[in-house]
Amino acid sequence: MMALPLSPNAQAILLLTAPLMVGHAPLSPDLLTPGEYNCLARHLRELGRQPADLLSSDDGDLFRACQPVMDEGRLGRLVRRGFLLSQVVERWESRAIWVMSRADAEYPRRLKGRLREDAPPLLYGCGDIRLLTSGGLAVVGSRQTNHPVIEYTMAAGNLAARCGRTLVSGGAKGIDQAAMDGALAAGGNVVGVLADSLEKVALKRENRNSIVEEQLVLISPYDPCAGFTVGHAMQRNKVIYALADAALVVSSDVNKGGTWAGAVEQLDKLRLLPVYVRSTGESSKGLDALREKGALPWPNPQDAGEFEALFSPTMVNPPATQGSLSLFPEK
Amino acid sequence: MTYQSEKSLELLRIGSGSPGARFRDGQEEAIRHIVEGRGRLLVVQSTGWGKSFVYFIAARLLREEGNGPALLISPLLSLMRNQIAAAHRMGVRAATINSDNLDEWSDVEERFGKNEIDILLISPERLANERFRTQVLARIAGQISLLVIDEAHCISDWGHDFRPHYRLLERIVRSLPPNLRLLATTATANNRVLADLASVLGPRLEVSRGDLNRSSLSLQTISLPSQAERLAWLAEQLGTLQGHGIIYTLTVRDAEQVAGWLKSRGHVVEAYTGQTGPGREELEEALLHNRVKALVATTALGMGYDKPDLAFVVHYQSPGSVVAYYQQAGRAGRALNAAYGVLLSGEEETNITDWFIKSAFPSRREVAAVLEALEKEPDGLSVPEIMARVNVSKGRIEKTMALLSLESPAPMAKQGHKWQLTAAKLSEGFWERAERLTALRRTEQEQMQEYVRLPFGEHMGFLVRALDGDPSGVTPPPLAPLPTTVDEGVVREAVAYLCRDGLPFEPRKKWPDGGMPQYGVKGFIAQGHLAQPGRALSILGDAGWGGDVGRGRSLDLHFSHELVDACVKMMGEWNPQTYPTWVTCIPSLRHPDLVPDFARRLADALGLPFHVVLAKTNHRPEQKTMANSSQQARNIDGSLAFCAPRLPRRGPLFLVDDLVDSRWTFTVASWLLRSHGSGEVWPVALAQAGRE
Ligand SMILES: Nc1ncnc2c1ncn2[C@@H]1O[C@H](COP(=O)(O)OP(=O)(O)OP(=O)(O)O)[C@@H](O)[C@H]1O
Ligand SMILES: [Mg+2]
Repeated sequence: MMALPLSPNAQAILLLTAPLMVGHAPLSPDLLTPGEYNCLARHLRELGRQPADLLSSDDGDLFRACQPVMDEGRLGRLVRRGFLLSQVVERWESRAIWVMSRADAEYPRRLKGRLREDAPPLLYGCGDIRLLTSGGLAVVGSRQTNHPVIEYTMAAGNLAARCGRTLVSGGAKGIDQAAMDGALAAGGNVVGVLADSLEKVALKRENRNSIVEEQLVLISPYDPCAGFTVGHAMQRNKVIYALADAALVVSSDVNKGGTWAGAVEQLDKLRLLPVYVRSTGESSKGLDALREKGALPWPNPQDAGEFEALFSPTMVNPPATQGSLSLFPEK
Repeated sequence: MTYQSEKSLELLRIGSGSPGARFRDGQEEAIRHIVEGRGRLLVVQSTGWGKSFVYFIAARLLREEGNGPALLISPLLSLMRNQIAAAHRMGVRAATINSDNLDEWSDVEERFGKNEIDILLISPERLANERFRTQVLARIAGQISLLVIDEAHCISDWGHDFRPHYRLLERIVRSLPPNLRLLATTATANNRVLADLASVLGPRLEVSRGDLNRSSLSLQTISLPSQAERLAWLAEQLGTLQGHGIIYTLTVRDAEQVAGWLKSRGHVVEAYTGQTGPGREELEEALLHNRVKALVATTALGMGYDKPDLAFVVHYQSPGSVVAYYQQAGRAGRALNAAYGVLLSGEEETNITDWFIKSAFPSRREVAAVLEALEKEPDGLSVPEIMARVNVSKGRIEKTMALLSLESPAPMAKQGHKWQLTAAKLSEGFWERAERLTALRRTEQEQMQEYVRLPFGEHMGFLVRALDGDPSGVTPPPLAPLPTTVDEGVVREAVAYLCRDGLPFEPRKKWPDGGMPQYGVKGFIAQGHLAQPGRALSILGDAGWGGDVGRGRSLDLHFSHELVDACVKMMGEWNPQTYPTWVTCIPSLRHPDLVPDFARRLADALGLPFHVVLAKTNHRPEQKTMANSSQQARNIDGSLAFCAPRLPRRGPLFLVDDLVDSRWTFTVASWLLRSHGSGEVWPVALAQAGRE
């Protein structure tokens, strides 16, 4: 477990884009959207500068130079939130929550490489960051589900653990929880990618114990105090897939819901990894529809050999190469 | 931002009330540095140099250019009020949010919202308060343009006055971006502390350091072992001292005792401590406007307090370190050519500072007990819930929680009103720091005793050297030394005074959380079953009667007739109404005769009948060994019974015991007596259990 000291670029990105939530204080209306931030970052790069330069005290010229892409006054108001920043960071630190930015060397390369500008500018987390680099099996599905599917999912998590593969999931109730429980029970490693409430979830006793044992890392692209929103849940799916080497969808609606959207995006567009769907038990329209879009039937592996084969089927594009696409020169 | 030097000078002159004032060496440079945003700055200058003017003037200039307000972290309430007044004089709109002014919080927030506040003063404890941070500070934090850390040596655990809550500042500063202005000030940073501050506030920290010598102070030390001798010295010398001053004591109790004594000798003084309550502000005013000769104060009136014409600071006991002493004595002679700093050194001071050193950190046992209790409760525990589960006092539990939650990362955090374990473990570094600090405090204690032994004329040089300053500019004391002897007659009167006082204690009004199941009681105690306010003759082990009581309990197993006489005298002055018509006592299985024998002799001396009506039903550990009141209540539950066939008398009575601590024994006994039909029950104890 480690608490990262904030890099100057991380400070700047937090000031520019993060809500910096403590209590119920109103959020700054000036926050940059991911799109706006990307635009500013590109502009800075063209100027040969970095976000951190906005925080040096003789910054007047740089702010003016950014005027073509971003209002000077707005930038000024954002970066003057320094004391607020120190307040939230202190709160996170005291709860063993870390934060890193896309500009930091520790930021998981697979996220940067695979998602490019869609990689979350900030990643908050609690637990051992080394777990983020281990790839593994993503298991996704809907919140509402029934008992046999839960059992099935736990078994999948369990198998991943026994085969020494990390399990990546969403940390929501239902399927996510079942997959994580299955893996943790077998002593496996788990990455939980949350769409909300990192602070609360990390303090939950079951999670806390697994975090302390360095079996579990919880991460989120959203403020540790942020509540649930549909949009966040969708964005979060991208991160789950990007952190894994193969994915299993255990249940899904058709044409709606986050699970569907996330899987379809992989099959149609991103193609980062092989996507499997549950192939036994109660049939499902959603899963059938995914099959039509190219998802593979889960071959119900029985041992480590069969399980490993899942990660390199022949018919899928290989994962994108993990070149450095970072916005800022790496150290 | 550009710095306006005329405006700046004008503010200095208005603020100091002197039209000819000029900036001290380095003062204007410091202001300019902050205003122009040239990076973080640490100002180390002597007491009374004018450090607060640096931030008030800078804050005002920043505001005039449209920047957000400043936030000032300041360790003491007395200091905040003092500083707010100074700020107002130069037109700086200052406000504070602290535990004393809850009713003003929303008003301050509103003014903040309307941009009507230039500088907000808060204590580091407030800054650590979850409710304040989430509900108040969160709304305004985004606009702060300057963070000022006054008395910054409190950050360093190499400092003489390391305050755990300042550790929070260390973490806040670490994540502050470089564009936020930061100013730290102190008078007492030796090289070690300076290095520490540089690493906390750095990396690019500018330091402004000046001469620490205080030429207006005449320092002197006088050894007078007994409290009575020092009381006598004060009574004799206070009248001869010019002007107005402060008398420092180490404990609240001493402050009250010294003030009581001096008043009884006709001096116009008042006690000022952290427990003085809402009257504190008035007392600060009284001293500022010379309506009292002196305040007898604990360090609650300490660091930073500015009364330019304060003429003397006398210590009734030595503080724990010479640097703390420099700080406190530094209150005197700020705008005078000459002032006294006299240190009286006494025999009990080492015990008291020992106690401060020992209780500064929780023990491993306490920490383990609290962590274990939390481990068992996935949903967390409140402090009262912890008290019900572990045998650790409330104060110690609170201290443990406060210190552990200030660790980074902390093993526990407060979510709402419950404490929960976090995903972090307490690091061994916590204990290492505790040990290092304890060792450091021991060295400081020794250095203080070295100071006490110095001959007249060598004190200031010693202090400046202790702060790694340059002693070459130190000049001889401007005043002649004060007498070092005391009049024997006055000493005898002081002894009598120390033995005279009784200590009142209030009855408990509520049964413990969870009630007393064996007695079948819970919630509030019925009005007719409450004890009356009681009296204790002394504090166990203390000057006065405390020593006699201790000997009676543990050596002689008999309380002397002097104690009987002293009680009779105390009860005569107390004279509770309606006056009791009989006497009974608390039973004990451990020493079945000790208290009854004393109570019978006391009853005889009072001319009242004595009856035994209560019995101890089973053997329990001594109440003293129970660390908090929940545990003490449980220990008493079911252990006392009414044993007489009927009540021998119905009237009011004195209920006698040797020691009062948690008051649960008196509470239960009074309830038993009253529910069997007795009149009002007036508790009397020979001694109150010690400190804490
Ligand atoms: N340049 C100056 N000329 C004259 N008087 C000054 C000047 N600057 C400050 N003062 C006065 O000096 C007094 C002490 O100032 P201040 O309280 O700021 O001292 P300080 O350095 O903070 O001391 P401490 O270390 O005790 O807190 C104040 O009464 C103030 O009016
Ligand atoms: Mg000061």
